Amino acid sequence: MVLIRVLEDRLQELANQGHGADWHFSKGQEAIAVGVCAALRETDYLVAHHRTIAHAVAKGVPLEPLVAELLGKTTGMNGGMAGEMHMSYPPKRFMFSFQLVGTCIPVAAGLAWAVKNYLKTDDIVVVFHGDAATANGQWHEGVNIAAVQKLPLLLVCENNHLAGNVRPEHYLPTSFVSQRAGGYGIKSAIVDGNDVAAVRDAAEYGVNYVRQHSVPFMLECDTTRLGKHKQGQGDLRSVAEMTELTMRDPLHNVDRSLYRDAEEQVAQAIEAAMRSSDPVLPKV
Amino acid sequence: MAIYEAMQEDASIHLLGEGAEIKQHYDAPYILADFPERIITMPISEDGNTNFAVGLALMGIKPVVDVIAGDFLYRTLDSIANTAAKLDFVSGREHTIVIRAEFLLGGPTTGQRPEAIFAHIPGLRVLLPSTPREAYALMRDALVTPGVTLFFEDRMIRDDDDWDEADLKLEGCVPADKCSWRMKGQRGNVTILTYGVMRQVVERALRPFKSDGDPYSESNQMLCDVIDLWSLYPINWGFLDKMLERTCRLLIVEPDVIYGGIGAELVARLAEMRPGIRIKRLGAPRTTVPASPALHAQILPNEEQIVSAIRKLSQQ
Repeated sequence: MVLIRVLEDRLQELANQGHGADWHFSKGQEAIAVGVCAALRETDYLVAHHRTIAHAVAKGVPLEPLVAELLGKTTGMNGGMAGEMHMSYPPKRFMFSFQLVGTCIPVAAGLAWAVKNYLKTDDIVVVFHGDAATANGQWHEGVNIAAVQKLPLLLVCENNHLAGNVRPEHYLPTSFVSQRAGGYGIKSAIVDGNDVAAVRDAAEYGVNYVRQHSVPFMLECDTTRLGKHKQGQGDLRSVAEMTELTMRDPLHNVDRSLYRDAEEQVAQAIEAAMRSSDPVLPKV
Repeated sequence: MAIYEAMQEDASIHLLGEGAEIKQHYDAPYILADFPERIITMPISEDGNTNFAVGLALMGIKPVVDVIAGDFLYRTLDSIANTAAKLDFVSGREHTIVIRAEFLLGGPTTGQRPEAIFAHIPGLRVLLPSTPREAYALMRDALVTPGVTLFFEDRMIRDDDDWDEADLKLEGCVPADKCSWRMKGQRGNVTILTYGVMRQVVERALRPFKSDGDPYSESNQMLCDVIDLWSLYPINWGFLDKMLERTCRLLIVEPDVIYGGIGAELVARLAEMRPGIRIKRLGAPRTTVPASPALHAQILPNEEQIVSAIRKLSQQ
């Protein structure tokens, strides 16, 4: 969690200086990626949405290729051609990430089908999505396919109660996102997404359930996005609201000494990425 | 047949689509019995199905997605353009995905032709064979070629099959950027570029005209080099340019709306390569496909229009 926070803070500084792209940071939501990945086997697969940095770090993607990819450099994990929202690192089974909201769900269902019926292992696939993604047709089509095909897929909803700057009354007709899972016969649980130990425990339950029964399960994590939706976009929330949300920061009680090591690792990765060359557009 | 035979050789090939298990695979009747685990019946969720296939491809499977009808491709435009087409470019790895659909001529949403839209999108190959021989060979090629291939079939060809024996010979595998030089062996005055269902119409229109040895006779004036483009992307530009070198007259006969269509790209590129060539395009008007069968004849160019266009071009 500290590594993710430090990395994103340093990237924020770079963005403020005009480097990089319209990054989407996970500040305030780190406990979900970290807690869920702590409950996974190394061989389990992960599919991410557009807010990818926390998932990549939590799944064990090394910092140097990750940072170089974010900065669009040749030493990036995808040669600088994927950027923040399309990156993948199969050696750590960080399989893909998708900018378009909802796309990750049917793709993850495809992965889960292949794990179960083609590779025939008992690994599972975890896919992260936001609360707002459940308003998209791709979410529903993907969840429907996963339920019908009985696929080993853990759906982790990072419910930050926002779609960019839009409030849930404009996209969510239910009190909880997990109520939607019930419509597909999928069991679910709700957890405080800012409590890393609670997320890990709930994820362990969900992971075991998916692995044992080979069916989807949804874990809804209630969380707070403490930063803006993305670089270059304002935040419509008031100072008072942000102050209140900050009280729920998952890193509130973290030992400050952990930061020193993280700062060092991040500085090294950024320095290495800055030294790397820019990619060349492939010939048609 | 091509998919069935390729499945026997390559265990990673899977076939999926709406009703995949109950569909009549008329030329491969044992496909389900032989490969029950590799035929996946999907719900009516075209977009989700293609994204699902992307997930399969990420795990080393070669999916063949049956979208059934060309009009349904609009339902899955997002997953094709935004997900599948970008996969290899952003990952630096190779994946093989084939997306197959049939073009009909039925009505407003059962007769559209989106081939030009897909040919425009980087990351996609667009194949549209006009004979069983090419359909077989191109599908075999698609299944061994990394990337995303859109494989289109004109159902009107099946409804109106007027084959040479060679067109029915199923074997081998042809590289997609080739195209076929039909009615070879005669010295044409006009180069005709056509594809899909229009290839048969062009050949029927030209059948009465044979070389009589007299270069000034009317029949000889009507001789054409007919190129059937079975791939709309990539296109073998060097070959087309060479074919035009002698005739300098280009007739496009396309089954799609002319405006912004494949013919527009062919004409623009070839005119850049060879300024001064004479050009004529025949194709569909920019109209919604009517449901009335009586009006279908007015959508596609007919033999008479083709003959008249050749006559005008060859006299210029």
